[in-house]
Amino acid sequence: VTAMAGNAACKTFIPMLSPFIDGELSTKDRTIVERHLAACRDCTGRAADLRAEAGLVRVGLDMAADEVDFTGFSQKVLAQLTPYKPPLLERLRVSLSEIFLYRRGTMVYAMVATTLVLAVGVPLLSRLMAVGEHPAGLGHRPDLVSVDVGPDQNEVIFGTDEHGNVVVLMGEARERELQRRRKDAGVYREEDEEENVRPASPVNPERPPGVEL
Amino acid sequence: LATDDLTLVKRVRNGDQRAFKLLVERYQRKIYAVALGMLRDKEEAMDVSQEAFVKVYRYLDHFKGDSSFYTWLYRITVNICIDAIRRRGGGRGETVEFDETMPMDVAEANIGALGSRLGTNPQKAALRKELAGKIQEALGEVPEKHRAILLLREIEGMSYEDLSRTLKIPKGTVMSRLFHARTKVQKILSEYLELDETKSGVGNE
Repeated sequence: VTAMAGNAACKTFIPMLSPFIDGELSTKDRTIVERHLAACRDCTGRAADLRAEAGLVRVGLDMAADEVDFTGFSQKVLAQLTPYKPPLLERLRVSLSEIFLYRRGTMVYAMVATTLVLAVGVPLLSRLMAVGEHPAGLGHRPDLVSVDVGPDQNEVIFGTDEHGNVVVLMGEARERELQRRRKDAGVYREEDEEENVRPASPVNPERPPGVEL
Repeated sequence: LATDDLTLVKRVRNGDQRAFKLLVERYQRKIYAVALGMLRDKEEAMDVSQEAFVKVYRYLDHFKGDSSFYTWLYRITVNICIDAIRRRGGGRGETVEFDETMPMDVAEANIGALGSRLGTNPQKAALRKELAGKIQEALGEVPEKHRAILLLREIEGMSYEDLSRTLKIPKGTVMSRLFHARTKVQKILSEYLELDETKSGVGNE
């Protein structure tokens, strides 16, 4: 039996149609409304009208918003703001996290570049420095120790190689070291000399590690 | 995946303005649509939208996070709109408030008029510009507080619970105001379509 418009039952149901189309009725009420709608053509029409109205308002205003160009809107808003100033530590943390958030690409490049510099540049540089500085040509900075073995005998010069092993400077390397010392003697003062080439001393507590005599 | 509002709010509080830009871009269209529906003036709606975001930023420390960011943002927008309407002093023929207990104004003569002409899910393509304009006119006939509920429901799809929180009114009032607002808008649009139909024969294209 189809209920006619103005049906007393409709008056109860009409206010329920709005929450009904919004899915805001309890399960029990929804079932009751559904049962009524199945039997009432007018209320079915009313529910359809409500859905159409809801859609119209949404779509109509959506269309109006479509006509607006929002390019630069956010910039205009931002231009009116005074940025928040959190404590320094927090700001540092934020700028770091911002780098990860917004400049991931740059970050990856920077990390790759840093790794390359560390992996290639540093060993290369130290090797170059070693070749330039080391008089004995040992390939590392040697800890040179001289032992005076007597007035009639030549001074013995000990050093360490790159593994920290004790070596005795002989032949050409020894000559070069002696030459360098003679040359330095005219330039450096006594204390400088001491710093550059540690004299052998059994009580010297500052003996560099790795030198075993 | 888009970052959620609360995370962005936290970042803004830590001085990250780009996070606020993301929030603005996320809501600008809907805020504008609500403001336009409330004020029915494009320029004013644009100004109010900007003002709403600036205000939200300024008072971000007051946002406790116990409600969602967007309900707070809409509340601020609606309040600015209501203030703007009141400043006009009814100069544009603003209607008086409905009495919550007033008898239902159900358009008995036009039952099913809207639904049958437009379908229950009207699409943009099927909507003529004049009708879109008529919607704004119809909204103007609805008291501001009812209009706010209607707009937040239709544009944002807010639940009654969220509407109740956003506008700080009981859920029952939400239901009643929404019903009255819809009935009013529906009546005006139905009448318009009736008139339009006698003129051109069709309600949509």
